[in-house]
Amino acid sequence: MSTPVLEVRNLTKHFPVKSGIFKRSTAAVQAVTDVSFAVGAGETLAIVGESGCGKSTTGRALLRLLEPDSGEVVLDGEDVIALSPSRLQGARRHMQMVFQDPFGSLNPRMTVRETLMEPILLHRVASGPAADKMVSELLKTVGLNDYHAERYPHEFSGGQRQRICIARALATRPRLIVCDEPVSALDVSVQAQIVNLLQDLQKQFGMAYVFISHDLAVVRHIAKRVAVMYLGRIVEEAPAEEIFATPRHPYTRALIEAAPKPVPGAAEGREMVMGDAPSALRPPSGCAFHPRCPLAQDICKRERPELRAMPSASGTAAAACHFAETVAAMPAESTRPTPEILARRLAVLAEARAAQAAAG
Amino acid sequence: MTLAEASTAPAAAAAAAPPEDAAPPRRKSWFRRLLRDKAAVAAMTVLGIIIFGAIFAPLLATHDPYVNSRSVMTPPVWQAGGEAEHLLGTDGQGRDIFSRILYGSRLTLLIGLVSVGIGGFIGSMIGLLSAFYTRLDAWLMRLMDMMLSFPAILLGLALVAVMGQGAVPVIIALAVSSIPDCARISRGIAVGVMKMEFIEAGRAVGLSDRDLFRKYLLRNCISSIMIFISLRFGQVILIGAALSFLGLGARPPMAELGMMASQGRDYLLFAPHIAVIPSVVIFIIVLCANVAGDALRDVLDPRLQA
Repeated sequence: MSTPVLEVRNLTKHFPVKSGIFKRSTAAVQAVTDVSFAVGAGETLAIVGESGCGKSTTGRALLRLLEPDSGEVVLDGEDVIALSPSRLQGARRHMQMVFQDPFGSLNPRMTVRETLMEPILLHRVASGPAADKMVSELLKTVGLNDYHAERYPHEFSGGQRQRICIARALATRPRLIVCDEPVSALDVSVQAQIVNLLQDLQKQFGMAYVFISHDLAVVRHIAKRVAVMYLGRIVEEAPAEEIFATPRHPYTRALIEAAPKPVPGAAEGREMVMGDAPSALRPPSGCAFHPRCPLAQDICKRERPELRAMPSASGTAAAACHFAETVAAMPAESTRPTPEILARRLAVLAEARAAQAAAG
Repeated sequence: MTLAEASTAPAAAAAAAPPEDAAPPRRKSWFRRLLRDKAAVAAMTVLGIIIFGAIFAPLLATHDPYVNSRSVMTPPVWQAGGEAEHLLGTDGQGRDIFSRILYGSRLTLLIGLVSVGIGGFIGSMIGLLSAFYTRLDAWLMRLMDMMLSFPAILLGLALVAVMGQGAVPVIIALAVSSIPDCARISRGIAVGVMKMEFIEAGRAVGLSDRDLFRKYLLRNCISSIMIFISLRFGQVILIGAALSFLGLGARPPMAELGMMASQGRDYLLFAPHIAVIPSVVIFIIVLCANVAGDALRDVLDPRLQA
């Protein structure tokens, strides 16, 4: 990775819990603690983890939609956290966001044209007829039609709305787009379209993505690097192919094993994680994962393992586990013979597809 | 057989999908849709007639509303003893009720509109601001609670005691008493809107607070607030009429619907029409304002047009 577009150093965001009439803060939800990572141009970093682990808070703190408590977010050499409010507004041109809920993230009172025009005019990307032309180009880029411009968001389906959100994020030609679970509210066939659209656009315009998701199948498809978060900290970071082949942190292993496998009859994972995630109000001592970890030893309760570099093919893997070196590679996917019924059905499907291809 | 494979088929379908390049027919404009609502059309017609009558009262009135005639307590034309000269009869002092209704609804509508306009504007601004700037929220809302503890009638009494009888203290009293209600309702609506993701999306785009307030918050609250204000319009007319009824509003010779009802009270047994007719007019105004307000919301809110 040459000079990264985005560099995050020690990003921390704790939410104070206030109680009593004097609103004294009695505790803090440690949503994000000491998170650091870097993303290069045209690259996708996925942040994965279960709900409540601080993925979305990280995404919002990057764009200063939430004010982080400390840390640096360097976008193209400029520390976003240090910017004054007026400079920040200008800097927003270079960092945009696609939200999870396509039904809630568009202003229902604005037509698509108004929605897309807004960032263009605001950041003086274009004006007058040039701006109009840009709107129709944007619509075409995300696979919509010109006549959609005069419509309101409620006239669209979820996938179409997400396309509008992507068009809005693209309007200013940003360097970074934070995608906060952009496909988890969509149904599966539409998910695939949106993910592919995001990839095509990245190839075309070369922006960096921070892709927040809990869906490992999507992450495997889109991400170059993957960071796994647990209770506000990154516990493992590695190139996507390495993390899926040789997960070093037991939590990563558990996540991968818990994901549904598209192999009929595949064996269930064995190292199941028990219980719920502990409260971010009072994270466990030592390694935050130790109460649920199948490998936990005494040292895990006392000492918090730091994120440290791991020997790997790419040399850029890191994990935060005392036993990361001793963990074996993921067991290869079971090579059970395909059941006969399934084989027959697959054959029928293949035949149908061939027939269709011949006809079309 | 993961996402990569699964995705190619639908993506290809999507690429092939937009052959229907011609835009499908659009929905009708909100005004056309409003005209389809029979009750709304009826309500707005009636309200329009009353407003028209009030504005052109000097041209339409058959008599001077302040001059007594010799025929006292004449019933309306359709009753036995009615005179064609006095369409709706005359009151206890022989003044023509039809003419007094025209002039009276002038004052009633004016008091209602002005007070609800002032109160609604200030109130909804306070409500929206306290939802937008959460730091102001507690302070503004406690202030509203304090104002809420003052009944409109009591405030009217106090103002009349200070400023003397007339329409102005009534308007002030009604406006001030509308503020906390409007503030609370609009705050409630605005807090709901502020929680929506598009507010955050607007911030992410880089909008200033002013644009965010105007284009995102206000535009999404305004129709619900307008409904509340149109309902409040009815209430304010009722309270205004009640104040006049108590002798706080317009000065006696002037015509005002509430005061006319109050004066008719003395003749309720012999000539009920003197009290009933102005009361019925108040009733019609309030009813029509509510029906029309509801219908407007139905056509203006895009979320209700699924």
